[in-house]
Formats: sequence, structure tokens, C-alpha cells
Amino acid sequence: MKRLVPTAEMTLGPFFPREFAAGANDLAAGAQGEPIEITGRVVQADGRGLDNLVLEIWQADAEGRFDNPAFCGWGRAATDADGVYFFKTIKPGATQGRAPHINFLILYSGLMRQLQTVMYLDDSSDPVLENLKERSGRLVATRLVATREGANRYRFDIRLRGEGETPFFDD
Amino acid sequence: MAYVVPRRDARTQSEGVVEGYAQTAQRWPAQPLARRAPGPSELSGPRVSSRLKTTAADLAGRGAKRALGQLIDVRARIVDEDGAPVAGAMVEVWHCNAAGKYIHPNDSNDAPEDPNFYGAARVLADADGRVELRTIKPGAYPVPDTDGWWRPPHIHFSVWGRVWLSRLVTQMFFPGEPLNDRDYILNAVRDPEARSRCIARFMPQAGKALVYDYDLVVRGRTAAAELP
Repeated sequence: MKRLVPTAEMTLGPFFPREFAAGANDLAAGAQGEPIEITGRVVQADGRGLDNLVLEIWQADAEGRFDNPAFCGWGRAATDADGVYFFKTIKPGATQGRAPHINFLILYSGLMRQLQTVMYLDDSSDPVLENLKERSGRLVATRLVATREGANRYRFDIRLRGEGETPFFDD
Repeated sequence: MAYVVPRRDARTQSEGVVEGYAQTAQRWPAQPLARRAPGPSELSGPRVSSRLKTTAADLAGRGAKRALGQLIDVRARIVDEDGAPVAGAMVEVWHCNAAGKYIHPNDSNDAPEDPNFYGAARVLADADGRVELRTIKPGAYPVPDTDGWWRPPHIHFSVWGRVWLSRLVTQMFFPGEPLNDRDYILNAVRDPEARSRCIARFMPQAGKALVYDYDLVVRGRTAAAELP
């Protein structure tokens, strides 16, 4: 069978509609599992936080399943003027040889293609993480103090380029 | 049947750091991208339609009057690498008005707004992977702080394929635009054929709108198709 060539990706540009990113960052509502919050700051090479950058996440449910009809493991957030994003979700379960993790996809002006990375909730053994060797620590989120509501909060900062750059994947 | 996402030929995709587009040198990673063997986590598919609401497919007819500009119909089709339609694919589009102005607080371009133009839509493809959008042809606009770079008319597309790695965000261009040859974004794709596929086809026909056809190929194919 003739294989078609995937369309070239292009930059999201600076004018992604605000309403497209609104209200899609809460995956925890009505979901079974331990609620968690994830926040972080996305910066470029000179350290500046990036405004209106889009992050999309994809994760398993609390049991490590990706096909649970009662849980949509996909969400989207846009950063504020300081480059800070926020998600509410549930803690994903371990799945088929992988430690609990959340896939991140980043879209932005000046990024010609999407960037893929992964956030880990702790430093459990994981083949994708171990392949990164000394850079692997960048993908393990920092657990912060619980919020008033009792949800565990994680911090996952992303540096697109430069010293301490986040590892990204090309699949 | 298992679904796989083969690696791509880099020539058919944009380069990361692009001369003339200064922000790319601040944002594209300096380290080489890491590789991983895709598994269930990357090869499963988010049902985004349970999280995102659809809108009307008409960006030009939502005001008291029709939006200013040349009325166009864009007939897009979403297929995967086997050419199989992605039935029910979610598609987002956004673009500037006929004068080159986006409905966005970050757009500093000194061009008029059009109260009858709505610059964004989110729709679902039919069973054959098709969506049809009615809108106006977007204008060109200058990129601030550059040496005379103007963006050619283009429409932003964001689509989802069958699995997480199938996500595609791109831009659709119009045929015959002199600015296409000078655009740093379109020309960051080195392969001329891959570049030309980013330009919609004009389909002359009767009616009140100019019609353009545009195919989007998202990543992924069934594993059986990999066999010789």
C-alpha cells in the first residue's frame, strides 16, 4: 500500500484563540482516583516566561488504563503572562512496564513543530526515563505541600532551551 | 489491528531553528531530541470531543452582516498515512480577518477589526474525514520587528488523529500568493513537494464562494500495512 507522507507541522503562532484553551485544564471533575494539581512555568533560553503557550496532556486513569470510557485523560492549558500553567487531574496508575507518568505536548509561536515530553510523579524505574541518563531528573516533578483541599500539588517547570533544558522526544 | 506511528523523513517537516524567525533560536531545544519506543501510552487515543465543545462551521456569517472580504469555502479532509479517513476527527481553525487583524489581545497590528467576523471554529469531521468551513479569505500582515517579513494569507489548523502521536498543528496556504515564496514558516519545510501540499487547491465552480480543497495527513497507520 502506498504510504502518504504526514503533513508538515507548523507553528501555532502567537494568536491561538483564548477561548480554545479555556476550561479544558480540569480532568479531575467526576473522576475516580486521587486528585492532584500540577503547576509550572515555561521559559525560553533567556529565562523569560512565555505567555499564551499551549500545553496538552494525556494520561492513564488511576488503574493505568488508557481506554476508560468514564475518564478522559486529555486536557489543555494555556500559560499566563508569566508563563505559568495549571492542571487539575488524578494520579495516573502505573501501566505496562511504565512508572506513573503524564505525557505533555507543547505548542507555541516560534516552535516550528510540537514538542513532546513526559512528567513523572516520582523517580520509580521507567525505561523511557532511564534512557535519558543524567538528564532524567528534569522529568521528575517536585512534590509540593498539599493544598487546603488536600490535593497533592506537583511542580513541573519546563525550559525549552538553554542551561537545564527539559529533555524532549522525537518519536 | 495494532496501530503504529512510523518515523518521519525530516525533510518533509519544518526545521527547528529558522533563519529570519528570531524566536525559534530562543525556543527550539539545543539538545538533540531523545528517542523512545512508542508503547500504549503514546499509541492510545484521547477522545478530545468529550472535553472540547464544537462551534458553528461558518466564521463569516455569525454577525449582523456578512464579514468583509472574499467569501470562501474550505473543504478539508483528514486521513492517516494509509489514506484511511479519520472519521469524527476534531478540527480547530483560526485566522485573521480580511485586513490582516486577529481577534486576539496580543495582536498589535494597526489594522481594522471586523465586528462581523468570528476568527475561530471547532468542528467534527464526518464519517469520510471531511469538514467544510465557510469563511472569508484572510489578509496578509507584517510580522513586527522583522526586516520586511509579511505573513501570506493562511489558516491555522489543529487536528487530532487516532492516537496521541498523531496530533497535527499546521497552517494552510493559498495558491498563487507572491508572499508564499518569501515566508519563513512555509519555507522551513525543505522538501518542495511537502511544501506544496501545505497549499490548498483552488476548485473552480459555480456558487457565491471560492472553493478550496485541502488534505491533511495525520501520523499513523495500521501495523498490517507495514508488511511488504
